Amino acid sequence: MKKSTYWLYGILIVLFMSACAPTMSTKSSEFPLMYEENPVTILILPPMNESTAADAKEYYSTTIQEPLAFYGYYTFPYPITADILKMEGIYDTELLINTPLAKFKEYFGADAVLFTTIKKWDLSYMVLASTLTVSVDCQLKSTTSDQTLWKYNGTVVVDLSGGNTGGGVAGLIAKAIVTAMSTAMADYVPYARQANYRALASMPYGKYHAQHNKDQQVQFIDQTPETSDSPNANPTQ
Amino acid sequence: MNGKLTWILAICISIFFAGCVPKQTYYFGNYSKTLYALEKYQNEETLIRHKQELEKIISESQVQNLAVPPGIYAELGYIYLKENKSKEAVTLFETESQLYPESKHLMDRLIQSAKAKESSDTNVSNISTTATDNSDSK
Repeated sequence: MKKSTYWLYGILIVLFMSACAPTMSTKSSEFPLMYEENPVTILILPPMNESTAADAKEYYSTTIQEPLAFYGYYTFPYPITADILKMEGIYDTELLINTPLAKFKEYFGADAVLFTTIKKWDLSYMVLASTLTVSVDCQLKSTTSDQTLWKYNGTVVVDLSGGNTGGGVAGLIAKAIVTAMSTAMADYVPYARQANYRALASMPYGKYHAQHNKDQQVQFIDQTPETSDSPNANPTQ
Repeated sequence: MNGKLTWILAICISIFFAGCVPKQTYYFGNYSKTLYALEKYQNEETLIRHKQELEKIISESQVQNLAVPPGIYAELGYIYLKENKSKEAVTLFETESQLYPESKHLMDRLIQSAKAKESSDTNVSNISTTATDNSDSK
């Protein structure tokens, strides 16, 4: 009995460590410009959608604000900025990516602009576990220097099977029903938000976060493939 | 013994999650849900729901003694602006810019357009033109 308790401790400690401190890159070595320019205000541009899901754009744009706020940034309300951009005749974010961004500073007072390309937004339906696979390519660009301050290029897989409903055959059946229900309801907002949280994991904390300017040495799993800078659609399939 | 073990497990799990999730410093309620519904369906019903949610976020933040999240006052003000309630809109835009000074630039722009809307009562839809029309002082 005693021995198994120790084992349990060991496993939990390993789990705890492995989840929070993977040794790959530090925030300051990877994104030094974030600490140099210290952006406070972020303008979220309408995402570019290269996935096959028609809803991906709405899911993304309505769930990105919240995580960014929790990371300590001031984000302009997306409904307002999207409206203004439309009035100004800006429908296509793609056309903006290589243009000078000073106009966003002038107009909105934005320190940085977030460009996002949704590469993949796939739902896989299985009996016991459905997953949402979100693959995005985000870039936070400065409105003063036009340089890329932070970027993320990767895939997040979110489990949609609605938690554990207990063991046994009855449990499995219950789980299958929950899975079916949650995929049928098509309410992916919480999952989209979860995917966004994880995509932002390497972003240095902003002004309104207690860890602001204290997280330079924080390490994260570097998922940014240095070589694939060119946006090639669908590497798999 | 079994009960103790469960406790230890529970504590370990909570530590495990606490380390990875950012600290709760804002109350967002169902913000993304109602906003998504609004963006997707764009009708009266979803607009009312989202508006109620924004109001709830403001009141709930005050109850929990938290700062109202960035953009919430502004977004509510923008809805009022669209409903031609310029006075309420201006108050909310001002609150936003006091709470988050870095929003002042955009808020001033919105306040100007709200005031222009109020004075001319015509359908001013372009916020872009810096509204300095004192045309009725003739």
